[in-house]
Amino acid sequence: MSSEPDTPDAETEYQHDDDGGPDPEKHCGHGRGGMGEEVTRKEDKRFITGRGNYVDDIKKPGMLHCEIVRSPHAHARIEEIDGSRAEAMDGVVAVLTAEDLLEHDLATMPTLMDDTQDVLVNEKVKFQSQEVAAVIATDRYAAKDGAQKVEVDYDVLDPVVDAEEALEEDAPLVRDELEDQEDNHIFDWDTGDKEATETVFDEAAVTVEEDMLYQRLHPAPIETCGAVADWDPGMDKMTVHMTSQAPHAHRTLFSQVSGIPEHKVRIVSPDVGGGFGNKVPIYPGYVVAAAASYVLEEPVKWIEERSENIQTTGFARDYDMTGELAATEDGVIEGVKVDVLANHGAYNAAAQPSKFPAGFFNIFTGSYDIEAAYGSLTAAFTNTAPGGVAYRCSFRVTEAVYLIERMVKVLADELEMDPAEIRRRNFIPSDAFPYESATGWNYDSGDYEKALDKALEMADYDHYREEQQRRIEEDADKLIGIGISSFTEVVGAGPGKQCDIAGIEMFDSADLRVNPTGNAVLRVGVQTQGQGHETTFAQIVAEELGMDVDSITVEHGDTDTEPYGLGTYGSRSTPVAGAAAAVAARKVRDKAKSIAANELEAAEEDIEWERESGEFHVAGAPDRSITITEIAAGAYMNHPGDEEPGLEAVNYYDPPEMTYPFGSYIVIVEIDRETGEVDFEKFVAVDDCGNRINPMIIEGQIHGGLAQGIGTAMLEKVTYDDNGNVTGGDFMNYLLPTANEIPNFDTGHTVTPSPHHPIGAKGVGESPTVGSPPAIVNAVVDAMSHAGVTHVEMPMTPDVVWETLDEVGLAHQPAHNVEFDLGDDAEPADD
Amino acid sequence: MKFDGEFELDGVPPEKAWVVLSDPIAVRDSLKGCQYITPMDDEFEWDTYEPEADIPTLPEAEADDVAARAFRSGQDYAALMQVGVGSVKPKFETTVTIEDRDEEEFIMTATGSGSASGSSFSMESGMHIHPQEDGDGSRIEWWTEADISGRIAQLGGRVINPVANKIVNNFFTSIESQMTDVEETDSGVTDKIRGMFG
Repeated sequence: MSSEPDTPDAETEYQHDDDGGPDPEKHCGHGRGGMGEEVTRKEDKRFITGRGNYVDDIKKPGMLHCEIVRSPHAHARIEEIDGSRAEAMDGVVAVLTAEDLLEHDLATMPTLMDDTQDVLVNEKVKFQSQEVAAVIATDRYAAKDGAQKVEVDYDVLDPVVDAEEALEEDAPLVRDELEDQEDNHIFDWDTGDKEATETVFDEAAVTVEEDMLYQRLHPAPIETCGAVADWDPGMDKMTVHMTSQAPHAHRTLFSQVSGIPEHKVRIVSPDVGGGFGNKVPIYPGYVVAAAASYVLEEPVKWIEERSENIQTTGFARDYDMTGELAATEDGVIEGVKVDVLANHGAYNAAAQPSKFPAGFFNIFTGSYDIEAAYGSLTAAFTNTAPGGVAYRCSFRVTEAVYLIERMVKVLADELEMDPAEIRRRNFIPSDAFPYESATGWNYDSGDYEKALDKALEMADYDHYREEQQRRIEEDADKLIGIGISSFTEVVGAGPGKQCDIAGIEMFDSADLRVNPTGNAVLRVGVQTQGQGHETTFAQIVAEELGMDVDSITVEHGDTDTEPYGLGTYGSRSTPVAGAAAAVAARKVRDKAKSIAANELEAAEEDIEWERESGEFHVAGAPDRSITITEIAAGAYMNHPGDEEPGLEAVNYYDPPEMTYPFGSYIVIVEIDRETGEVDFEKFVAVDDCGNRINPMIIEGQIHGGLAQGIGTAMLEKVTYDDNGNVTGGDFMNYLLPTANEIPNFDTGHTVTPSPHHPIGAKGVGESPTVGSPPAIVNAVVDAMSHAGVTHVEMPMTPDVVWETLDEVGLAHQPAHNVEFDLGDDAEPADD
Repeated sequence: MKFDGEFELDGVPPEKAWVVLSDPIAVRDSLKGCQYITPMDDEFEWDTYEPEADIPTLPEAEADDVAARAFRSGQDYAALMQVGVGSVKPKFETTVTIEDRDEEEFIMTATGSGSASGSSFSMESGMHIHPQEDGDGSRIEWWTEADISGRIAQLGGRVINPVANKIVNNFFTSIESQMTDVEETDSGVTDKIRGMFG
């Protein structure tokens, strides 16, 4: 790995452009598809014509299929595994167990949090559906039939699924194989100044407290995880096509786990049908497929089923939080405290690369200038699937934003203040940036009031406040609730001081090669799962080189050809690889100047590049100009004697800081007092992600994320029964929102560029999932706060809302007595 | 999960009910989805075992045969049972052990466990046949405590309970009709069988 940073705050030579970089006021793109243009996504042609190439589309000659045998028990010792009945079946080639993997030292694998997870269970099952054995067969059906015939003798143990119960003294011990592990406690962590915060709370005029659970969610990408592993004994090379959000990092980990040298491992992440963080970790299925291919010397495909994906791969959230605020009587927040109990499942396997055990949760001071902050957290093992971070959340920023935005609403209600006004009173002022928070974050830029004002106007806030009051006074059947969330994100992992994966710092890379005929290929170290990199990154190059966006192809996802990168998650692609692409383009532009000087017979220092026209010309003589296409030809056919031929550049970009996108969301709901149903009356999302590269792609990201935020707030929860059975582990019981549940969104934006990013951009992919759940919950609470409701737990299904209405005397009985006449055929039909 | 209930068999005295409920073939015929219940030993092979077809039950069956095959305490039985729960229709390979048979009080208890494609269960069950309080029939009290894991358990009680209730109701309805058949034959048959159990 190159790119040794001088200091954590290192800036690259090309970070700040001579001409000041793209101008946020203009954003015209100059007609070449540069910054700010709504360029149609290059990748859409293949997706909408059915020509995408996903892992399950990959077929290789002689390819075998892998099916995993999973434990029906959440906690059980394995007494014996008998694969003989399966092996006797037609088409079954092999049955693999931990014993077979032990021979190749592949029985366990490291997690991203330095824990060790069984690839196939060696002694004890620790969560339901854990991987116990694998059946390899000539086709998928034979593999599935075979898996049913593998006999596993279990000694069933009592499980513990609840984090609080897991920490009780007599709780079943989840990890008895670990030395010195005498209970289910994983770690304690704290942040901020405890003493100073206590003092602020002791002296505060007003304090409020609220318990809230950020329930266990699953990213549930539409494409489940899968791999095609292909060991080539002739080349001693392992090629794995897999659903990976971080192909290079996975290559390094694969090499470390398998012992195959890294240059003999190729990871290809082809088209990926949604990641959302679910495809950041390594899962046992990938390792089993690779091990099987190695042993059998044939390609082996493993494709996960829906329920396997939900029940065993990286879940999200599961933070049981208590928040407290201390404030003056006129609503100035002086202190924030938070205490968390985190359920990490059976292994500490959270998919997060930060150097903090709770990820970026310590940004819980949010958009507010709060003097004192203290957070503490305890994490526990339980007999549930491992995970805890994945899902469009910027490594726990989601939980932090939920906490602070909920608490601000709780405080506003306590003080009987308008929740917009109390926010305005506490925002970090726009002239205070760069701003250092009480928990040590360095905010790059922000103008929170501007975004809030815009959202209030778009939402017609005052009108709805009046309407809300009118409905209360008239005791109407439908109540109005207005929820606000003025969130700040921290994205773009990240600087070495805050992030690494297995010690590798989280730079990212771009390799730009301009061809003799004037078009170019940009290879990036990040990988797209639908974010539109092939378009967005081409636009960055178009902007910085004056090329046409159609002349630029973006390649990603193949470790044999792409420069090393750390992958796409945590909204890091634009902040890090986007910066690398801009810097690589600026390097190429620099070399282009010397070629232009040669072609135009002028001195190199006299050559100027004009962003508007995209052309190079001699200073003071704009007519003597040359385009990048002409320069490209010159680079190969008539290169200056003192320069190498060719026109290309590589950049490994080590971000000096994270970026801090923000926004204000306003949700207006109408609650039916008879049924508890919640309808979205208005949904306003104003985002600020700095300079905008492709507004259409940004809007698409916002729409998708808001839909997921609605799922989070209204529908989704992974549930378990006392025996550790996953009772919310398929799409029948784990409810994703469909078009029916999604209202129209009114999106808007403000532009506050990041001062340290080469093109002033910030990430945006996670803002809507981070920002919207508290706005939705605040709206539902707001509809009932006049009756004393301070909180409603997610998911806010109609029964939960109705019970809350009923508790505070707001529920209405049906206006008309409905008599159900089922007639004579009322008996349910016998099937 | 606990399931229990009672079932009344009008006009069928406890002795007769006991005889029929002790016959693995009669039980199999009444249990929807059950392909066989057969005594098993260590040599038993699930993949190769073929149950005999068309074995007669009472009243056609020979009393000696019925007595010979009746459930025995301490004996293990292999049962292959297909249960449809929602979209899942696994075939459970179930091992049942008759734990106790009280020939005087007509109490039988059994334990069992089974597994099928990602689901497994273990159970403790029992039944007690009482004389009907206001008639000459029987009142059958039954109970099962089952621990269910895996795919079927994931569907939850709202899906499992109706299925379990339906299986039990079908079972007793079918048993009732078998009982009635026995009733219509020479009562000497049942007396003879009862004598053999003693």
